[in-house]
Amino acid sequence: MVLQSSFKSCLPLSCLLRAPRAGFGGAASGGLIIQSLSNDVYQNLAVEDWIHDHMNLENRQVLFLWRNSPAVVIGRHQNPWQECNLQLMRQKNIKLARRRSGGGTVYHDLGNINLTFFTTRKKYERMENLKLVVKALKALRPQLDIHVTDRYDIVLDGQYKISGTAAKLGRTTAYHHCTLLCNANKAVLSSVLKSPYKGLKSNATPSVPASVKNLFEEDPGLTCEMLLDAVAEEYAMQHGIDHHITLINPTDETVLPGINDKSKELQTWEWVYGKTPKFSVSTCFNMVYKDSVLDVKVDMDVKHGRIEACDIDLPQEWLPPALCRELVKSLTGSKFCPNETTALSSILLRTCPQDYELHSKWNLLCENMTALM
Amino acid sequence: RKFTDKHEWISVENGIGTVGISNFAQEALGDVVYCSLPEIGTKLNKDDEFGALESVKAASELYSPLTGEVTDINAALADNPGLVNKSCYQDGWLIKMTVEKPAELDELMSEDAYEKYIKSIED
Repeated sequence: MVLQSSFKSCLPLSCLLRAPRAGFGGAASGGLIIQSLSNDVYQNLAVEDWIHDHMNLENRQVLFLWRNSPAVVIGRHQNPWQECNLQLMRQKNIKLARRRSGGGTVYHDLGNINLTFFTTRKKYERMENLKLVVKALKALRPQLDIHVTDRYDIVLDGQYKISGTAAKLGRTTAYHHCTLLCNANKAVLSSVLKSPYKGLKSNATPSVPASVKNLFEEDPGLTCEMLLDAVAEEYAMQHGIDHHITLINPTDETVLPGINDKSKELQTWEWVYGKTPKFSVSTCFNMVYKDSVLDVKVDMDVKHGRIEACDIDLPQEWLPPALCRELVKSLTGSKFCPNETTALSSILLRTCPQDYELHSKWNLLCENMTALM
Repeated sequence: RKFTDKHEWISVENGIGTVGISNFAQEALGDVVYCSLPEIGTKLNKDDEFGALESVKAASELYSPLTGEVTDINAALADNPGLVNKSCYQDGWLIKMTVEKPAELDELMSEDAYEKYIKSIED
């Protein structure tokens, strides 16, 4: 990481937890700016959880700056199958994370910066935070045509979304985080945020699609570092603190005790996929086998990411009915997951005679089934 | 009906408590778009997080007013989360639970005490 003009240092966060910033005795304008040394989405989300759970924000608010290597981040109550192209993400090694705040789905890469504003629940104020960001950007580049919408997006040139917002309200603390597109890969963004999955019915919170633009397209001289710095400077000014950024390592248990358990939890299948609100899949696909085209109809109910009920409607006798019944039985209760489906269908296939035609038909069916996941 | 300082209410009848959020809370939250509720049978301690409400404002955690076990959840909220705003004390109830430690009820605020409480925090 290139260190720029602002003074950055590594300090145990525990020290900063207790000692208020010198010279501003208990005033509500106190603040702390921290930046993550990691680009791992799970570690960074864990830092948010940690601050939310452990820091006392009565007299001091916190701004957290972070960037992630390629990842898709869905909101707390969203359905990843509805929101993104999971197959493409697996191919491109793009991670999927579910955050604890609400809102819609976003794509992160190193060309996007994330800002989290921590306050007490009482001082929670998204519009103020976003106005701060706009002020910072305008101080950097006065010619930028940017404004905050009533949906809490930041829009460039009246039509392009450059920032989206989400938030969480806890017991005593609250946080508001937002993205800011500097130089993200728009081609990848569009392709991964388009879901190929059909026939999904769910009451999960949907995303609101938007046309996006990078600030870099307005001014190629802009970098993420510059944007981070500008926001930090404005935050420091508004909170009456030094423009000093504390760097933190989100894997350091001495600074953030319990942090590694938090990032582990965010990576579990149970959290990422299992927290998906109940949904149903009702779809059909065609399979071409030798000279015929077969219609297959599939109905599934998925709860906590697992197949609760399953029905596969195949042309009669195309495959042994007993085998198909076994497939449905195996799928029921298993994860709605291509790896798990492939595994259980391979196991079933091994119980069958070595019949080339049977094996090819089976593999064809199972490939199509896993393509739904 | 009794209230917590986190703006949940609980109303106990025949040993079963019905839990919801107060009018102050639903107004502050804005339009609820999703209710995340626990499974029936979940055991909760007082102050445990039992779910979340997502509104246009934020995802907001829900805290159990008492210790007990979840006996029922309001299935109507799945398709109609707005009931929490429209009818927070009636049709917009969230969960029903057993009351394992009745003494905990005494620690909660009466309706009058709660009204005074929200006036004090509004300043």
